[in-house]
Amino acid sequence: MRVNVDLRLKDVPGQLIKALEPISLNEGNIVGVVHNHDLVTGGRISVNVTFEYKDQRALDAISSAWKERGVEVVKMGEIFRTYAAEYLLVGDLTHAILRTITESIEGMEGVETMDLQYSLATGTADRSVLLVVSVRERERVRDIDSYLGAMSERHDFLLIRGMGV
Amino acid sequence: MRLALVGFGTVGQGLAEAVAMKKDLIYDRFGTELRIVAAFDSRTYAMDPRGLKPLELVARKQAGKGLGRTRPKSVAEMLRELDYDVLVEMTPTNIEDAEPGYTNIRTALECCRDVVTSNKGPLALRFRTLDELARKNGVELRFEATVGGATPIINLSRELLMAEKVESMKGILNGTCNFILSRMGEEGLPFEYVLKEAQEMGYAEADPSYDIDGIDSASKLAILANAIMGMDVTYHDVRRTGIRRITQEAVELAAKERKVIRLIGEVNGEGVEVAPRMVPLGHPLAISGTLNVLHMHTDLAGAITVVGRGAGRKETASAIMSDLVGLLKRNACLLNGRVK
Ligand SMILES: NC(=O)c1ccc[n+]([C@@H]2O[C@H](COP(=O)([O-])OP(=O)(O)OC[C@H]3O[C@@H](n4cnc5c(N)ncnc54)[C@H](OP(=O)(O)O)[C@@H]3O)[C@@H](O)[C@H]2O)c1
Repeated sequence: MRVNVDLRLKDVPGQLIKALEPISLNEGNIVGVVHNHDLVTGGRISVNVTFEYKDQRALDAISSAWKERGVEVVKMGEIFRTYAAEYLLVGDLTHAILRTITESIEGMEGVETMDLQYSLATGTADRSVLLVVSVRERERVRDIDSYLGAMSERHDFLLIRGMGV
Repeated sequence: MRLALVGFGTVGQGLAEAVAMKKDLIYDRFGTELRIVAAFDSRTYAMDPRGLKPLELVARKQAGKGLGRTRPKSVAEMLRELDYDVLVEMTPTNIEDAEPGYTNIRTALECCRDVVTSNKGPLALRFRTLDELARKNGVELRFEATVGGATPIINLSRELLMAEKVESMKGILNGTCNFILSRMGEEGLPFEYVLKEAQEMGYAEADPSYDIDGIDSASKLAILANAIMGMDVTYHDVRRTGIRRITQEAVELAAKERKVIRLIGEVNGEGVEVAPRMVPLGHPLAISGTLNVLHMHTDLAGAITVVGRGAGRKETASAIMSDLVGLLKRNACLLNGRVK
């Protein structure tokens, strides 16, 4: 699990180490640190940290260590990892069918965003469409796979999947 | 070890040449020879218990004279009467009823002979029947040459990786399709144009459907699923989509996402499928040209990738030689140092 936090530290040397130490002590994995030297409020500077933590207990331990050390937590938000699944469809993809596909996929559980690109058909009846869908959980990709599989069978589209997430 | 060669086309002649070329090596390692005691093509045959000269057979065949005398009866009937140790079956692949390969192989196994084959039909359609017959009679059925030409996929998995559980396999098993898709991607050429080019270069047959509709890949994938993942499937169980309908626009859209389109065979917990897929650049399966590749995941070793030439006279002979060497090694063990 991944989390992003806004911290306020005293503007004196050694504070950053003090703030990051509890993360590694609790088997967390620091993914990124943004140090905002310019953003000083009330004698405190702001630091934004992204890290992965083991479980809720580890996250609680990190939070209480910060409290003890006088590190102020301004904001903490869970970051969800997303998985991108790609599909190419080739066939007689009318606007009406594309709309149905878009609406169905966007309405599926766990779907975050969907991007659609298509070529302008050049002379042939077959149009090629690229779909990139990002989902919260890997398992959701299977739902999209089977939906597009069934659509392709019904409408005689060629379906080209990615290599899986 | 006495060999009966059935089928003397590209592969049969390549094998005869390899036998001649590796004569000393085989003698040094095993103290024996690979002796060709019979050879058959579709109409003629040659036979000599003291051994036929491999290069003379090739020369005779290339002069258009056949191998010798006209065959009076079926190969299978003649095999029943012949004295030999290993049948090397190299007749054309037939994905309708697997003949004549199936009957030839079955006959040899029934007579308790080992079999080495490059013919996909019998294994893609009747794998379990033949495998069980070989086990029951205590002989070996080896088929490295049926999948991936010179890539040692089958023997690698069945011998060196015997202690592993192979959890999934993905691969490119047809060089013709890979050539076509690579050219479309790299040169921006349409499918029909590249297909014609492949035919002119001898990579694709006049009737290309066997390659481009995924029939060849599906046959090979069925063999891998049975041989390596212990499944019980035939060619007909493989979900199959070919590459005919892939447009230039589709290739371009994939390229925008830094992906190439390749015909991929996949075996996993969910089934067996051959279909075009989008492969990220830099992925082990994003290879170009006529190469073949197999990427597998096992429980202990993790990911393993094998890449190599998928077809050709010498390349296929290499795979058959690896099977024959496997038999020589087994004989050496069985006879405690003495070999047949
Ligand atoms: N070529 C490759 O790179 C490659 C790679 C892997 C696997 N394979 C497989 O290996 C096998 C042989 O391929 P190939 O390229 O050598 O084919 P090929 O050049 O067409 O040769 C086939 C041979 O089989 C003979 N034959 C046909 N019907 C027969 C019958 N009823 N009884 C006895 N012999 C018969 C033919 O006789 P005639 O000479 O009289 O026509 C010919 O000698 C095929 O199953 C193929 O799928 C080929």
